[in-house]
Amino acid sequence: MFIEFSWLIPLIPLLCFVIIGFFGTKMHEGGGYLAIAGAAVSTLIAVLVSYEYWTSAAFASGVPYVASMEWFAFTSTTGSFVMNVGVYIDSLACMMMLFSSFISLLIFIYSVGYMSHEGNKKRRYYAEVSLFLSGMLGLVVSSNFLEMFIFWEIMGLCSYLLIGFWSFKHPEGDAASINAASAAKKAFLVTRLGDVSLMGGLFVLLYAFQSLDYTVLFDVNNIAAVDSNMIALAMLLVFGGVIGKSAQFPLHDWLPDAMAGPTTVSALIHAATMVKAGVYLTARAFPLFVQVEYVMLFVAVIGGVTAFIAATMALNNMNIKKVLAFSTLSQLGYMILGLGAGGYVMAIGIKHGDPALIAAGAAGYVAACLHMMNHAFFKALLFLGSGSVIHAVGTEDMRQMGGLAKHMPITSKTMLIGSLSIAGFPLLSGFWSKDLILESVMDAFTEPVGWVFVILWTLAVITALMTAFYMFRMWYMTFHGEEGHAAKHCHGESPRTMTLPLMILSVFAAASGLLILFGFGDTVCIGFDGTKFIVGNGHGHDAMYYLEHIFTNVYTYVTILLALLGIYVAYLMYNKKTLNPGRFNKEGQSFIYRLFANRWWFPEFYDQLSLKLGYGTACGVDFIDKQIIDGTVNGLSSSVVGGGEVLSRAQTGNLHSYAGVVVGGTIILAVIAVALFYFMGGI
Amino acid sequence: MEVQIPLLTILLVLPFIGAIATLFMGGERAKSAKYVAGAFAGITALLSLLLFFANDLSFYDECYGWIDTAGLKMSFALGVDGLSMLMVFLTSVTVFLVILFSAAEKDRPNYFHTLILAMEVGLLGVYMAQDYFLFYIMWELTLVPMYFMISWYGGPRRHYAAIKFFIYTHVASLVMLIGIFALAFNAAAITGGGYLADFSFAAVAAASPLFGTTFQILVFGLLFFGFAVKMPIVPFHTWLPDAHVEAPTGGSVILAAVMLKMGSYGIIRVCLEVLPEGAVWWQPIVILIALLSIVYGAFACIAQTDLKKMVAFSSISHMGMVLLGIGCLSDAGVTFAIFQMFAHGLITTVLFMVCGLTGHNAGTREIPLLGGLAAKMPIYSAFMMFGFMASLGLPGLVGFWGEFGVIFSFYEYTVSIDMIWLIIFCLLSLLLTSGYYIWAMQRTLFGKETDKIDVAHVHDVSLSEGLALGVVCALIALFGLWPDLALGVIQTFSQGFISGVMI
Amino acid sequence: MIPIEFFLIFGGILFAIGAYGVLTKTNAIVILMCIELMLNAANINFVAFAAYNGDVLGQTFVMMTIVVAAAEVAVGIAILLNAYKSKKTTDVDELTTMRW
Repeated sequence: MFIEFSWLIPLIPLLCFVIIGFFGTKMHEGGGYLAIAGAAVSTLIAVLVSYEYWTSAAFASGVPYVASMEWFAFTSTTGSFVMNVGVYIDSLACMMMLFSSFISLLIFIYSVGYMSHEGNKKRRYYAEVSLFLSGMLGLVVSSNFLEMFIFWEIMGLCSYLLIGFWSFKHPEGDAASINAASAAKKAFLVTRLGDVSLMGGLFVLLYAFQSLDYTVLFDVNNIAAVDSNMIALAMLLVFGGVIGKSAQFPLHDWLPDAMAGPTTVSALIHAATMVKAGVYLTARAFPLFVQVEYVMLFVAVIGGVTAFIAATMALNNMNIKKVLAFSTLSQLGYMILGLGAGGYVMAIGIKHGDPALIAAGAAGYVAACLHMMNHAFFKALLFLGSGSVIHAVGTEDMRQMGGLAKHMPITSKTMLIGSLSIAGFPLLSGFWSKDLILESVMDAFTEPVGWVFVILWTLAVITALMTAFYMFRMWYMTFHGEEGHAAKHCHGESPRTMTLPLMILSVFAAASGLLILFGFGDTVCIGFDGTKFIVGNGHGHDAMYYLEHIFTNVYTYVTILLALLGIYVAYLMYNKKTLNPGRFNKEGQSFIYRLFANRWWFPEFYDQLSLKLGYGTACGVDFIDKQIIDGTVNGLSSSVVGGGEVLSRAQTGNLHSYAGVVVGGTIILAVIAVALFYFMGGI
Repeated sequence: MEVQIPLLTILLVLPFIGAIATLFMGGERAKSAKYVAGAFAGITALLSLLLFFANDLSFYDECYGWIDTAGLKMSFALGVDGLSMLMVFLTSVTVFLVILFSAAEKDRPNYFHTLILAMEVGLLGVYMAQDYFLFYIMWELTLVPMYFMISWYGGPRRHYAAIKFFIYTHVASLVMLIGIFALAFNAAAITGGGYLADFSFAAVAAASPLFGTTFQILVFGLLFFGFAVKMPIVPFHTWLPDAHVEAPTGGSVILAAVMLKMGSYGIIRVCLEVLPEGAVWWQPIVILIALLSIVYGAFACIAQTDLKKMVAFSSISHMGMVLLGIGCLSDAGVTFAIFQMFAHGLITTVLFMVCGLTGHNAGTREIPLLGGLAAKMPIYSAFMMFGFMASLGLPGLVGFWGEFGVIFSFYEYTVSIDMIWLIIFCLLSLLLTSGYYIWAMQRTLFGKETDKIDVAHVHDVSLSEGLALGVVCALIALFGLWPDLALGVIQTFSQGFISGVMI
Repeated sequence: MIPIEFFLIFGGILFAIGAYGVLTKTNAIVILMCIELMLNAANINFVAFAAYNGDVLGQTFVMMTIVVAAAEVAVGIAILLNAYKSKKTTDVDELTTMRW
């Protein structure tokens, strides 16, 4: 009875966007309360819909709830297709809409405190975040790729607008405005690069399947009818979109720059929307991805490399938000790695018809989904916590903080929970999902080209160590040690609208991973029984399986030890100060240090690339246009004018020369006529 | 018997009366010329809306004898179908909005409006003509008012631009005229009927299957050149940036939104419909120059410093997209090419209005001199952002569907010739398009507030300007969210349009 | 009957004389007179052909030519008078203002 109204979930925030956009200035808080109400209603509907779906017969038999209507149809002699709009609700969509709407709701509430000084810019802020939420929820419930793509792009637009929220009239002056505008541009263009690739993938799919509906595309019979090379091409292109949106290597560089926006926007982008969309798309299109195993291998490699590279960049960054941004990149890499490794195993399982491998592969999917949800909670918590700190001290530089724990007890404690969770402290949520991802990577060891996964696993484990280190480096630098320059002017704890979301989130950040013991693996999962893909019920594993799997594996303890080691080293370096970090990097002069600090020189590389290749070519084209093409046109016209000038000299004005020409011409004509008659043989 | 109202003739006569009326409103009455012009253009626009509700467009079919002597047959024949109707709607709405937008025009407002309404007569005539001679006359009729529009109301290099515009496109029209003569004379020779030349669309269409292949290829070349210059496509485009930079805002809007479409309209209406074998022969070349236009235009945009010139080059790129759709020679390609024409018409209306506002309200259009306008001119900035987003193909707005459909048709084509990699150029252009728009926005709207212009005189949009922009933006969103509104109409024309020869 | 060739040769000679005069003389009045010679050469041909073909059309044309020639002389001399008034010369080599 509620599930029929699931289309309301994205529509309500959209409505809020329109209302706030037009009338926000006349409302309290620039329409902030309406945005909160909209998010709350969406959350409520999401809860009801999820409850109804999870108790429905559809869920029990492993099929999604689909409802759609025709949007426009196109028929031609070469083929016809129908574009639908509709909803596609399965466990994955339920999970996504639940945490997206819920976290967004908390962020909106938090914004009332955080954005309280923004004056009449609030209208723009609340309108845009509402649209952002609408984009994410629409993407989650869409029933086909085209509909999904529309919301996908709307999110791109919103991220552009929100990252560039202060791209004019920045409170800190013109330089910050220019920086924000530049970051927004980068975010839009880099994700656009991915989007264009995704669009290419959609063309391939649309051509191959004559439809973009999930129900058609995920049907095994339809898939079997299509050339697997085409599917591989399509999925690689689609994954290009994921690389852009979820900021994977090598298109990861926009995300750290995106910190130029307000912290709440960062939280929204990192936890609830935007970057999760890419992971979601990979999970959503899983039935297509697993058709070709090397696509999944590619996905896994990209994920593993991203996780590692991003973690290294976080090690020595001094900006509290940038550290969190890099950690997001790294964690997204984990999710993609989990999906890739699981998918790889599953792809091989499907190829050989091996149910055990399929089930093992499904575990990677479950792990990645769980990690996505856990990450949403702890990253929202961490960002909102850092926002609370920035709000209080007025700087993002961690060197100017320190000793804030006594000024801001709630922020400090909640952020500790978040940090422990992301670092993989045993039994906190990050631990479960991260460990399951590592497990699923290990499952691929025995498959063909298993050595790739050995390398990826090693990278991932090192990343886990680094994660623990940099998170606690951040926590200690911010909340412990001597009070920095800015910490002395701290206003004290943030207002209740900001701390309340922190406290709620910390509960989830600590505990959401435990869902794996309460049926998560049995709910949000994917299976394949040879005739169809089964979403949700019945094909996952129960709690005991996961408990057994995690705690009987010796490598689990290795990971735990490494995480603890990371935390301990951070403690020694940044709290007890018995270990001087400068000893390891020649006081910031070593190559490795500069490599990490300069983000592996990716920004320079991209700047040079766009300048030399893009702008250079453009200037070349402009030169050709002005000089050669237009030069030819102007040359033609001036040659006509000049030719006229020259020929007009023939008009001497002398009557005799005119008469001579006339007579001469007549004679020549007469001669020609006679000659013609002669040669043609008369009349 | 029901008396049929000659709606199409009325559509043509109304702006003509308006043009005559405003012409004689010199002196004291010049100020009220805009009301007269607005009334005539408004009624025309409302009447053109009627066509949207017609069940069967062939109902509106009017033919009056005109010249029937010495073996020549030319008639005053008007008719609409799915293609014409959208263009008629676009024209009448754009003209009305331009008059609304230009309400503040102070310089000889009566002549300004005369020129605009005269252009409307020509444009509507081109889109409704069912006779090649009428088509040609109307085609040339658009040229003269535009020439005066640029050379009377234009910028500092207006005379250069006006003459370049006139001669360049006029030369192209003459080449086209040769093609039209070839069609008319040959059609009369084939169908008989005692004429030396029969200019009616019907006669040429009837004779079309009997045209020889060589004839088709040659005449296609002549006509295609004439139309392609108007579109324009690289390398025959250089009149466009100059004309746009110098033209007044209203002229630019009509030029880009409606007049360029005459080129692609002609290609579909004449080249494809009458000369299918020629189209097949020319297809690779058409595709090649379309791709060239798309990528070349996009790159050229990046290097421009004049905002209006950038938008002008973006028109070249987007019209290249139209040509690409046409070049696919498939139902889908033609359908979405027409949609792209319509979409581009709506979007460039916003873009050129915004560019005009930049020059007028901020004092300059040079991007390096601008900056931080969002703080000074918030409504203007919102419209600019909307226009740019629509133009770079944001889904949910009208520009997306045209591009999506055209590129998809092109993908179908590349699959059929086994060269999928060609699609990269289209995707590259999408990326470049976002690149120049976003970069331009960053430098004009955002960042440091400029100190290079007279900040005290910077002001936001006026009511009439905002109203005009608002209506177009609403249309962009409407057709973006409900593409079937236009696609349905187009499909009545394009379904089964591609004849057997082409497949 | 006198053979037609005589008339034609006579006409040709008359025409050549006229053409020679037009090309060589510098006095505009002489040039006008030479033009008259050329016109009359044509007239003789017309009349001769008319007489030999028994068709009056040729004679009609001669009437026409004479009328036109009279008008032409009137206009030509009027122009010449004006030119002489302003330039004080009838030498066509000096009347070269109508050039580029």
